[in-house]
Amino acid sequence: MSDSLSNLNPVTARRAIRVLRPDSPDQAVSLARQFSASYTAGGTWLQPTHERDQCWPETLVALNSSWPGFRGLDAGPNGLTVGALTSLAELARQALIRDYLPPLAMFLNRVAGPGVRTLGTVGGNLIVGGDLSALAMALDVRVDVINHTGERALPFSRWLRERASDDLLRGFTIPDCRGWRISLEKLGYRERFSPTRATLACVHDGDRVRLAVSGEGGLLRLVATETFVNDRADLASGDVGAVIDRELAAHGWQDAHLRMALRRMTTELLSEVALGT
Amino acid sequence: MELKPQPGMAGTGVLERIEGRFGYATDQHHLPGLLHGAILRSRHAHARLLRVDTSRARLMPGVRAVVTAADVPGLNRFGIVVRDQPVLCEDRVRYEGDAIAAVAADTVEQARAALEVIDVDYAPLAVVDQAETAEQMSPLHGESNLLAREAFERGDTDAAFARCEVIVEHHYQTPRQMHAFMETEGGVAIPDNNGGVIFRVGCQSGHRDAEQLADILGLKPSQVTVEATPTGGAFGGKDELTIQPAAGILALQTGSPVLIHLDRFESCRTGIKRHPVSMIMTTGCDRQGRILAHRVDALLDTGAYASLGPAVLENFLDHATAPLYRIEAYSVSGRLVYTNNGVSGAFRGFGGNQATFAVESQIDALAEKLAMCPMELRRINLRTVDEPGSRGQVVRWTAPPSNVLAEAGASPLWAPAGSDLRRRWLTGTGMAMGAQGNGLGDGLPDSGGGRVSLTAEGRIRLEFGFSDYGQNLAEAITCLVCETLGCVAGDIDVVLGNSRGPDSGPTSASRSSVLIHGVLADILPRWNDCVRDQAAALTGLPRDQLHSGPGGLFAGGRQVLSYRELAEKGQPEQTLIDASQAFPVAPEGNQPVGRYLQLQISTVARVAVDRLTGRVRVTDLHHITAAGRVIYPPGYLGQIEGAAIMGLGMALSEDMPTRQGHYLADNLDQYIIPTMQDVPDQRVDVLDNTPTTDRFPVRGVGELGIEAVAPAICSAIEAATGIRVRHLPVDAGYLLAELCAQEETCS
Amino acid sequence: MTRHTQPEPCAPEQVTFELNGDVISQWVSPATTLLDILRGSGRITSARAGCRIGRCGACTVLLNGQAVPGCLVMAWQVSGGTVETVEGLAEDPDFVQVRDALATESALQCGYCTPGIAVSLVSGLRQQQNGDVVDLEEAVTGNLCRCTGYGGLKRAIAVLTEASSET
Repeated sequence: MSDSLSNLNPVTARRAIRVLRPDSPDQAVSLARQFSASYTAGGTWLQPTHERDQCWPETLVALNSSWPGFRGLDAGPNGLTVGALTSLAELARQALIRDYLPPLAMFLNRVAGPGVRTLGTVGGNLIVGGDLSALAMALDVRVDVINHTGERALPFSRWLRERASDDLLRGFTIPDCRGWRISLEKLGYRERFSPTRATLACVHDGDRVRLAVSGEGGLLRLVATETFVNDRADLASGDVGAVIDRELAAHGWQDAHLRMALRRMTTELLSEVALGT
Repeated sequence: MELKPQPGMAGTGVLERIEGRFGYATDQHHLPGLLHGAILRSRHAHARLLRVDTSRARLMPGVRAVVTAADVPGLNRFGIVVRDQPVLCEDRVRYEGDAIAAVAADTVEQARAALEVIDVDYAPLAVVDQAETAEQMSPLHGESNLLAREAFERGDTDAAFARCEVIVEHHYQTPRQMHAFMETEGGVAIPDNNGGVIFRVGCQSGHRDAEQLADILGLKPSQVTVEATPTGGAFGGKDELTIQPAAGILALQTGSPVLIHLDRFESCRTGIKRHPVSMIMTTGCDRQGRILAHRVDALLDTGAYASLGPAVLENFLDHATAPLYRIEAYSVSGRLVYTNNGVSGAFRGFGGNQATFAVESQIDALAEKLAMCPMELRRINLRTVDEPGSRGQVVRWTAPPSNVLAEAGASPLWAPAGSDLRRRWLTGTGMAMGAQGNGLGDGLPDSGGGRVSLTAEGRIRLEFGFSDYGQNLAEAITCLVCETLGCVAGDIDVVLGNSRGPDSGPTSASRSSVLIHGVLADILPRWNDCVRDQAAALTGLPRDQLHSGPGGLFAGGRQVLSYRELAEKGQPEQTLIDASQAFPVAPEGNQPVGRYLQLQISTVARVAVDRLTGRVRVTDLHHITAAGRVIYPPGYLGQIEGAAIMGLGMALSEDMPTRQGHYLADNLDQYIIPTMQDVPDQRVDVLDNTPTTDRFPVRGVGELGIEAVAPAICSAIEAATGIRVRHLPVDAGYLLAELCAQEETCS
Repeated sequence: MTRHTQPEPCAPEQVTFELNGDVISQWVSPATTLLDILRGSGRITSARAGCRIGRCGACTVLLNGQAVPGCLVMAWQVSGGTVETVEGLAEDPDFVQVRDALATESALQCGYCTPGIAVSLVSGLRQQQNGDVVDLEEAVTGNLCRCTGYGGLKRAIAVLTEASSET
């Protein structure tokens, strides 16, 4: 049994990576297609992943935050548009975030660590199913995506199902959620800078409750639970826990203790948004 | 008395450390002709090595040397207690960190690229990955996977149990904790152009390492020098040789200095860990709560090589006898087994804190069954200062154990937590106690020396063999010298950790402070006499009127001679005074058993448990220490606080589990140590009743802080939730499930 | 015997940035980490490889004024930027304040993580001066310290916070 690494797979060393720097989003898309390359922005997810397995992509297409619409926040009639290359640290500092998503600024302290938040982008966090993806899912954000066929806007959840390899995320638009009640909770292995076990987002839009979770079992909009809560439930009955548990178990959340925590976190967040506390 | 850090006592090297110019072992990139080394590790946890072919690697760009087992000039084995670990494996690998070959090249990248084209053929062997069944598996070494079995007995345990009114029996499990020092293993080996090698490496015992390296390199002891350089943390994890053997062989082969610095992935995979312990403890008492009988049956997973495993087992058992408590009869036994689960060895606490976790949990369990306050139960069973230790030995405590307990009882943490936590969080306060011996213990040869001299520049130079990896040893030495000689810090040079200097023995077992104090008490008065004699000759003043002070010698309240003048005009070479002494292991004439110099701690913990998720936050820790005199307050405080947070990590998040002999965490994103926001406010109160005439008023506190933290946290969790956790680290999921079950029963 | 073929290194590119006030220009492959560039320059020892995946903070430096782990920044991201390490901050008033607080409160033992912590604190103080609300204890949560248990660091931060609330 011969076992030198070189026989197993070709190793792309870090120094062999080509980094292409396109002038425009369109050029980025065409380079990504031409070289079957991944996009890179902050690089905070990509690097640990490849440093661990010591096998790197041959080519990266670097995105540029000065391209129009790719960075910063903009409040408009359709809601709040966030550029995908806005860093997590910038997001936490924005006054508009305090208007639209009051709990988010504090919550961001629990997303990665300070240095990683300075480099890491909002778009990157969404794409890897990070802590913000549950909130984006619960808010029904619409993403603004560019690829070789042009540009389109579509719901985040649909994009995740249909995503093409050359899809470039320019940003996303949060509906005008001022006045909505929003609650967020993360369970990790320690208080800060922890891998996510589960992040739960609970949104009450004045009419209906929306719930989404990300973490060990993957990103999931808790559709059945929402239906139960919005259409049938007497919240006091406590039956919602069983519904959540079934829904999570059916969608890859295997750890029963973690589901138990999520049941209780959900109940807590539901009471927060219902009571408006 | 609450210990305050005393701002303004900034020690030597502090500014250099903050400004990043302290010159750590792995900072030495400036050496002319420096080559970079890399080590090929096994891909299997257990396998026969059929073929190691380095021919392709030798042709790789920049490669200067490729070495395998055949190139080890001397003994291809190392290990502090048993030399059983190959420097480079010949025909078999026993864990996934085992070294097979090493490369030196012009750059790190070239060295690592060359590793990738070393062809190795393995024939995998059955992996011994369960300590419980290891003895039934084919042996990793010799005849059996049982490396050691040891038992301490006292009295008739069965008879004592028969008289018990209450007996508690529980299983306890402690994690395979990683040291996670911030500077991973590394340093340079430099050929000395005379066939010898100089090492500048992060290590814990220059002298001992030099002996082993001479054997490995086939050199005379005089040809190997270890200059212990500033080290970015060790905690026991750099007690064994790490990269030195490979770096030394490569340096001899190439004639160039070779730097090896493991990256964190390799460090996690190869470095030693804390022994995981699985144990059943049975403890019984009479109706009044007097503990009569105690039985321990423990299994320690030592991994693929012995390292310090046998000594860890001894210290574990010593602590498992419950040294603080008077117990009529005990039978305490442990087995140490080989497995393919990495290598376990020295780690702050050294088996002791694993045992204390279980012992203190047992005391709480007895109290619960008796419906007695756990502190009251402790009070009636604690030893007095006049009683012998748990192994019949004479013990020198620095305060009565009951006083240490009483101070814990008076802690402000017993007051209920603030109401803001109440709704979601269950809060509770708990405590535990611990004893910690100083020194290698149990009759092991233990001694150490130091040296004082006046340099040609007129500095008072103190030399010890201890390594500095952040324990403020230089500061402690400086404080003691200033106190004795009346001089100031600016008069003093402290030189640590050179294998050419005095041999102080290893920097471990909380022994440095004791030896430093003892040696200084010997050499400083002699040095002072010598200096006064010389000064008397130079000044014509009577010796009795002269005394040392800041900057020089004084008579009648004014300086008559500076140290510099003394060095220039006197005979500084005659001021060199060496001394060595045996570590105090027993009173004169007594047979050493267990630990003679004992310290105590009681730790009070307050926690908040999240009702929603079961996660635990430690909100406060309050330690009461009885560990002799405080020489350098910031150092003492830092040792207690730092060790306590290591204990907190071990209690709540740290473990290195294995599957089929492979570690399941390989870097600091998966191995979770506490951050700033995970640590509570801490307070340390020092209790010291050591008489001024005591010959050993100074004790080492490097390990004391970790001793009682985990059981105190678990006691607090129980106070908050009613649930006792006996397997560490605390599994939030388990705690939550128990909480849920409790709620269902209640509703 | 066939000689093993390594993937060809990507053509090196010239990366120019300001390091502690000096303009540095180096030919490196674009995915080289800033940490490796700094340590390879022979001028910087304060940034250290503790994990190489951005999880320990021992390589924290200021990039365009903000604290980042040098091991997560690639050469192409540094081009045209400014990098500051503690070697270049010796005269900086914020750094001096941080250094003095760390020293007097004995906020370190082995000191290996300390320059990274100092950089994070300098960044935090500068953000506070720009009017941002920055909790300095939050600012160092990306800096792991294994020796101290963060006790001295908490005390040093209390000193810094008191000083900044007075001004």
